[in-house]
Amino acid sequence: MKFECGDLERALAVSELMPEAREHLKQCANCRREYRLWNEISSTGRQLHEDWDSPALWPNIRKMLEAEPKPKSAFVWWGEWKIWAVAAVVLIGVGLLLLPRLQQAVTTPEAKIAHTTGGAQDQDFLTEQALADVQRTEAAYRRSIDKLSQLAQPKLADRGSAVAANYKEKLLLLDSAIADTRSNLDHNRFNVRLQTELADLYREKQQTLQEILTRDQKN
Amino acid sequence: MVWEIGLPLRFPVNLSEHPTDSELAEQCKRGNLRAYERLYDLHSARMKSLAFHLVGNRADAEDTVQEAFLKVYRAVGSFAGASSLSTWIFRILINCCYDSLRKQKRLAEKPASRELPSDPKLPLKVGLQRALEKLNERQRLVFLMFEVEGLKHSEIAAILEVPEGTSRSWLFEAKRELKRMLTESST
Repeated sequence: MKFECGDLERALAVSELMPEAREHLKQCANCRREYRLWNEISSTGRQLHEDWDSPALWPNIRKMLEAEPKPKSAFVWWGEWKIWAVAAVVLIGVGLLLLPRLQQAVTTPEAKIAHTTGGAQDQDFLTEQALADVQRTEAAYRRSIDKLSQLAQPKLADRGSAVAANYKEKLLLLDSAIADTRSNLDHNRFNVRLQTELADLYREKQQTLQEILTRDQKN
Repeated sequence: MVWEIGLPLRFPVNLSEHPTDSELAEQCKRGNLRAYERLYDLHSARMKSLAFHLVGNRADAEDTVQEAFLKVYRAVGSFAGASSLSTWIFRILINCCYDSLRKQKRLAEKPASRELPSDPKLPLKVGLQRALEKLNERQRLVFLMFEVEGLKHSEIAAILEVPEGTSRSWLFEAKRELKRMLTESST
């Protein structure tokens, strides 16, 4: 490549071209002048550094820094972070310890009722949906007990048996109590206590009928 | 060992004779004023000169250096050490200089008059000073930091957050532009 005057700038940017540029500078006064100016810009640039005494500057800065609150260093921040981390761990630990108790409280019968009925103030009253469920269950339960009663009839028909007479009397009492409770429930359909009593009476009647049916087998 | 009281924990305030950049940063974070004094001793001459060329006079340059130290003190807690402390301080100083220039522009319609170099008999020095004012900001900054204050391209690149090659390229452009202006003014 033949080095020409126009290539000097490129040579100043790309150091690999400088050996060729130096050869050219030996012959070209114009480029020598350009190159000298280029170097003088750097050397004169160094002379532009301004140096002067400022005896009051550091004392002023020091006074200003002393008036400032201490810088919030990363170390202090780390200290705070540790405190927050410990606090979080303690909080989680306490939460985990209390969780089983909370779950237990939620699963108590009272809580279940409160949950089903939508709150403590409605505790004695069933919602329409819950009542429909209870009535459906009761009807099915009653049908089953009626079937048991039919099965037990031959045993109860034994007039000479004192045991059968006792059972008949007990069943009559239970039927009477069931009828009364049902009658009360007709006036107060959402009363949980009456519903529970009725369920207990049905359970009692069921157990009595089962006893009648199984008594002979045991004997 | 001397202990400083007033922080949640106690920290030693003695500095080694030649503290490393990270040691200085650590002591600055702890509010050790001797660490700031050390920073001042190390960098204030170049900081004052760079500020002088950017804001145009010694009084404003000193104010700017003072402001930069205050900002360093307030923000040192967030200094992560990704760059060196000196690089970070120069970056803050340059921002303070631009703030100062904006303030000058707000106070007066025309910027404050610039002080000429202390030796006006040297025509090239005066010419270069005047030509420098006409350069664009990035070229002027790189020229001032490299040629005038003697910073390395790696340091300039870190201060301006540009690749090192960009710093070299901007310096070349600056010198080419200065040469053009000086050649034109002499003809």
